[in-house]
Amino acid sequence: MSTETMTALKSETGRVPFSLERLRLIAGNTFLEAVRQKLFNFLLLLAVALVASAQFFREFNFGSSELKFIADFGFGALVFFGSTLTIATTAQLFFSEIENRTALTLLAKPIWRAEFIFGKWLGVFAVVGVFCAVTIGLLVGLLFYRENAIMTLHPDAFEGGRIINYADILLVGGLQWLKFGVLAGIVLLIASFSNTNLYTVITGFFVLVICHLQYLARDAYGQIDSLLVRLPVMVLSYVFPNFQLFNLADSIGQGGGVEAMVAVRVSLYALIYIAVFGGLAVYSFRNREI
Amino acid sequence: MSDSPAAANASPAAIEIRGLTKDFPVNLRSLKLRAVDNLSLTVPAGQVFGLLGPNGSGKSTTIKVILGLLEATVGECRVFGVPSGRVESRRNVGYLPEAPYFYRYLSGTELVTFYARVCGVEKTRLRDRVREVLDWVGLSGAADRRVGTYSKGMLQRVGLAQALVHDPRLVVLDEPTAGVDPVGSAEMCELILKLKQQGKTVLITSHLLAQIEDVCDRVAILDRGKLILEGEVGELIGQRERQALIVDPLPEADLAALREWLAARGHALAAVEQPRARLDQLFLSKVARPGRVEERHQS
Repeated sequence: MSTETMTALKSETGRVPFSLERLRLIAGNTFLEAVRQKLFNFLLLLAVALVASAQFFREFNFGSSELKFIADFGFGALVFFGSTLTIATTAQLFFSEIENRTALTLLAKPIWRAEFIFGKWLGVFAVVGVFCAVTIGLLVGLLFYRENAIMTLHPDAFEGGRIINYADILLVGGLQWLKFGVLAGIVLLIASFSNTNLYTVITGFFVLVICHLQYLARDAYGQIDSLLVRLPVMVLSYVFPNFQLFNLADSIGQGGGVEAMVAVRVSLYALIYIAVFGGLAVYSFRNREI
Repeated sequence: MSDSPAAANASPAAIEIRGLTKDFPVNLRSLKLRAVDNLSLTVPAGQVFGLLGPNGSGKSTTIKVILGLLEATVGECRVFGVPSGRVESRRNVGYLPEAPYFYRYLSGTELVTFYARVCGVEKTRLRDRVREVLDWVGLSGAADRRVGTYSKGMLQRVGLAQALVHDPRLVVLDEPTAGVDPVGSAEMCELILKLKQQGKTVLITSHLLAQIEDVCDRVAILDRGKLILEGEVGELIGQRERQALIVDPLPEADLAALREWLAARGHALAAVEQPRARLDQLFLSKVARPGRVEERHQS
């Protein structure tokens, strides 16, 4: 090695700052590892197949309009497979580093554990982003195709313009992506103190169910008089994020729209929970013995 | 790699461990397993230092404390004067773990580039540095192959490359020859000696004591977490009160005369035996041949 290079490398003294470049490197590597996994490709294919097949189930639309049915079906596939992908991939990518001992080599470098945790989170978030983009892209294409077909058959039903607001679909898709980001943060927090991949996945699914049903606790909180009962319910309702807030897809397909301010508030809500769960995961992982 | 020896005698010491104790909780009843017990050790800069001991003696735990991967229960550990728990202490450390496992889908070049960038090697020098270090460990021929296709010896080499890519002053090698054939082991020993020539401090653990003897300046032996012996290799295993003379085969009559001559001067001939080559040396002389390294890499 040249003396010049040695000098350049050794001249760095003092504190090692938190580095976005290292964060990006770890995220990039995590993303690369994730897209090579069979699970990602399998779930993506399943979701794509399910969304694409929605038009074949239009006879079973249970009374709602066909477009509404396709939108609900598509978002249902996105939520179900997206949640599964987020929990399984986050746990898998975290524990593959620990069990294969690649974390040992990586953390022996001048790197902060916060960079490792948030790098992992960012990698998973990018993977789930690809999943959401493909699924939503397909859903938009399918809805556009069916809406055009229905417009040709029943032009009088579209006198007021298109029923589907495609910008809203993208917006709701984006909010679902943020929700998966919160879920990835929760799973990373569990993984940071858990010993096994299986425990993390199972606990992750339990928490997912709690977060989806959390609104019940919020409703109950308003009706409870006893302070002793009310306090733990209140704490629970804040500890677990309310995933029902992200379900803004109900008005799509019925001519309704998503209010921009609601979307902004939900996005902020998600970002706060991501920061909190990420911070707790870093704190928990800080002293973990690798 | 660096051609000129660095300032080996620069203080502070490469590693300074004082009263290190590390306990691991065993169960919920707050029972603890003491992996390292009141260990004090100094690894001077510029030396090859061997950390020896049977399985479970606390070698790996000590290494993990040095690397900041574990926190000491009691005591302190400093790397070039910086507490090992701080991220800054790892700036000057390269680490090759035991039986290294790397991202299998990356090529050798991509892997070393990844670690180089993590360590902050300047972008302008990145490509040259990666090529240089891969060449130095003898992996140029296989640099573009996926790590998943590498043999154990090649994994050790690429592991050494990633440990050295940011030009650290201290290199920690945990069982660098475990599972590697004698040729690969000998090549690794050559690389360790080259590192020493460059003025690097090398901390090495190994069960292959003959190799440790060949490359180490000092050794420390741990048992059940305690330091039981430490010193220079020559001092520890040399027999200063005796000498060996190696001569051509002597007829019996000459041998008897030699005994008499020695006896007349108050000395005794302790043993007459035929010198033996070490088995690993014999193996290497038969198996290793010029160009073998490249052949192995191409295979």
